Amino acid sequence: MATLDLNKITKSFGTAHVLHGIDLAVRDKEFVVFVGPSGCGKSTLLRIIAGLEEASSGSLVIDGVDVSAAAPVDRGISMVFQSYALYPHLSVFENIAFPLRVQKLPEAEVQAKVGRAAEILKLTDKLPLKPGQLSGGQRQRVAIGRSIVRNPKVFLFDEPLSNLDAALRGDMRVELSQLHRDLAATMIYVTHDQVEAMTMADRIVVLNKGRIEQFGSPMELYHHPATRFVATFIGQPNMNLVPATVIGAGAEGLAVEFHGGHRMTLPVDCGSARAGDKVEVGIRPENVTLGAGLTMKLRVLERLGGVSITYGDMPDGMRFCAALPGDTVVKEGEEIGLAINPADCHVFDANGSVLRRRMAPALAA
Amino acid sequence: MTDVVGSKSPVIAKAGRRGLSEGWFAWALIAPAMLFIGVIVAWPLAETIRLSFTDANMGGENFVGLANYEKLLHSSKFYEIIGRTFFWMFLSVGLKLILGLIGATLLNAAVPGRALFRVLIMPPWVIPIAIGCIGWLWLYNGHFGIVAGMMQRMGIIDGPFEILAYKNSAFYAAIVTDVWVGTPMVSLFFLAAMQGVSRDLYEAAWVDGAGRWYRFRRITIPQIMPVIVSMALLSAIWTFNSFEIIWILTQGGPRGGTTTMIVDTYKTAIGNYKFGEGAARAVVIVVLLAVFSLIYLQILNRVNRKYGVK
Repeated sequence: MATLDLNKITKSFGTAHVLHGIDLAVRDKEFVVFVGPSGCGKSTLLRIIAGLEEASSGSLVIDGVDVSAAAPVDRGISMVFQSYALYPHLSVFENIAFPLRVQKLPEAEVQAKVGRAAEILKLTDKLPLKPGQLSGGQRQRVAIGRSIVRNPKVFLFDEPLSNLDAALRGDMRVELSQLHRDLAATMIYVTHDQVEAMTMADRIVVLNKGRIEQFGSPMELYHHPATRFVATFIGQPNMNLVPATVIGAGAEGLAVEFHGGHRMTLPVDCGSARAGDKVEVGIRPENVTLGAGLTMKLRVLERLGGVSITYGDMPDGMRFCAALPGDTVVKEGEEIGLAINPADCHVFDANGSVLRRRMAPALAA
Repeated sequence: MTDVVGSKSPVIAKAGRRGLSEGWFAWALIAPAMLFIGVIVAWPLAETIRLSFTDANMGGENFVGLANYEKLLHSSKFYEIIGRTFFWMFLSVGLKLILGLIGATLLNAAVPGRALFRVLIMPPWVIPIAIGCIGWLWLYNGHFGIVAGMMQRMGIIDGPFEILAYKNSAFYAAIVTDVWVGTPMVSLFFLAAMQGVSRDLYEAAWVDGAGRWYRFRRITIPQIMPVIVSMALLSAIWTFNSFEIIWILTQGGPRGGTTTMIVDTYKTAIGNYKFGEGAARAVVIVVLLAVFSLIYLQILNRVNRKYGVK
C-alpha cells in the first residue's frame, strides 16, 4: 500500500513562484506521469516529493503519514535521476548495493537483494563492470536497480529516458511499464515528452506555469482536454485551433461560422456561450478526411508510410495540419477540401476553457 | 561547385609540401621548444653532472672521478640530512593535504559569503614568500613574537623563548610556515576538483540515506582521488626542494637542525665554494626525486584505473 497526497503545495525561489498550490491524490500502485513544458514546475514538484527541496507551504502525505518535514530517506521513496547519477568509481554491483551499504545490511542480504534486482533488470553479467563500460540503456537499468533494492513505497523518476536515443527510448518505455506491473509499486514519473506520458501513465498530471491544468487518464486527456493548453499539449501532431464565431446556441449544440463562411453545429454543452462570441474550434489532425468542408492550400507533405501528414494554409492564412491515410493522392501546392465530423470537434471559449463534448467516446474507468 | 573545390584542394596540398619536407617541417615546429629546453634544462643538468666528477672550486677544477660521491656515501651527516629531508617532506605534504582537504570542503560548503572566503584563503600563496617569511620571523621572535607571547600567557613557557634557536622548535616552526605557504594552492586544486563532482551524485546518495560523512567518504574522496594523488606528487617535489622558507627563517640552523638536502647543497656549493661536491649533492637529489616520481606515477596510474578515470 502506498498512496501519496499533496495538499496545497507551493514553492517560491525568492520572488519567483514556481508552484501555486498543488493538490493531488495518487492511488496505490498507480503510475502517474507529470508532464508539461520546460519550466512548468514538474521537476521541482518531484524534488519536493523526494525531499530534495522543501515546499514553501503545503503538506505531503505518504501512506497516511505526513512526511513534509522528513528527511528523504525516511519518506520511503527512491529516485532515478535524469543523469542516472551512477558512482563512476564503483562497480555496477556496488552502485546497486549503495543504499543497502548505507543501511549497513549484512553481506548475505546485500548479495541476495542486488542479485535479485540484477536478475529483474538483466544485469547479472554486468555486475563487476564500472558504469563507464556500459551503454546508456544499461546505465539506466543500473540506476533503476539502485532504487529497486530499497523496496520503496514510491518510485520517483526524473526524465529518466531523455538521455537515450529514440529507439532505445521506445524499448525502455516498454520495460518500465513491465517493471511497474511486476513490482506493483506506486510510481511517479516526470517527462516533457507527451508520448512517454500517454504510453506509460495510468493517469497524467499536465502542469503549466506551476498549476495543474488537468489530472486524468491518457484517453480522458485526449478526448476531454479541460483546457486549450492540454488540448494542444496532448496528441501528435498538435491539435488545430481554428477561430470561429458563435452564431447560435441551442439544445442540439453550438452553431459556429468559420472565417471562410463554412458553418457547423457542434454537439457540445453551450454553457454561457452566446451568438457573437469568439471561440476556437479544436480539430485533431487525425480526425480530418478529404471531402467537402474547410479548404486549405497544401504547403508541405510528410509521408510517414501508414499516414501522410499535410501542412497547409487556410484561406484566411491560418495554418492547418491534417493526418491523412498514407496513400492519399495529394500534391504540394494543391487546394484540398477537408471534411470534419462535428462530433470530433472541441470548442474553447475566450478563456481557453473547454465546452463539454457530448458525443466523445466512452471512457475506460 | 563541390566538385571544383574537391579537385583543387589536393593540388594546394602538394604545392605546400614542395617547399619543405614533412619531416623537416615538424622539426622546424618543435625547434624553439627544443632550444628552450636545451638551454634551460638539459645543458645545466649535463653541466651539473660533469661538475660532480670534479673538485671544482674558486681555484679551478680537476677531474676526480667518483671521489665526491664516495665522500657522500661515507658521510653519516649526509644520511642524517636525507632522513631529515624525507621527514620534512612527508610531514609537510601530509599536513598540506589534510588541511587543504578540510579547507576545500569548507570553501565548497554552501555558506553565505563563500566567495569572500575563497579570496581570503589566497594571501599566503599570493604574497612573495620572502615577505611572508619575514612576517613569520616576527611571529617566532622570542621577545616580541606573538607565538612565544601566547605560550607564556598560557603558562607553557616561563620566560622569553627564541623558537628558531632550538633544533626541534626551529624545525617544526619551519614546517608550520611551509604548510602555511603551501596549503592555499592545494585547497584551490581540491576545491576545483570538488566542484567538478556532479550534484546528482550527492542528491542520489542523500535520497538513499547517506549522511554527510558517508557522502564525503564514499563520493567526494574517491571522485577527487586522482587530483589528490597528483597534488601529493607535485607538492612533494616542491616541498622537497623548498629552499627560501628555510633559508630565510634559519639558514638551515640551528646546528643543522633545519638543513634539508637542498639547503645542504646550497651551503656546500655556494656557501663554501665547493662546486664539485655541491653538484654531486644536486645529482643525488635529482636521482632520488626521479625514483620517487616513478614510483608515484605508477601509483597514480593505478588510482586512475581504480577510480574510473581514463
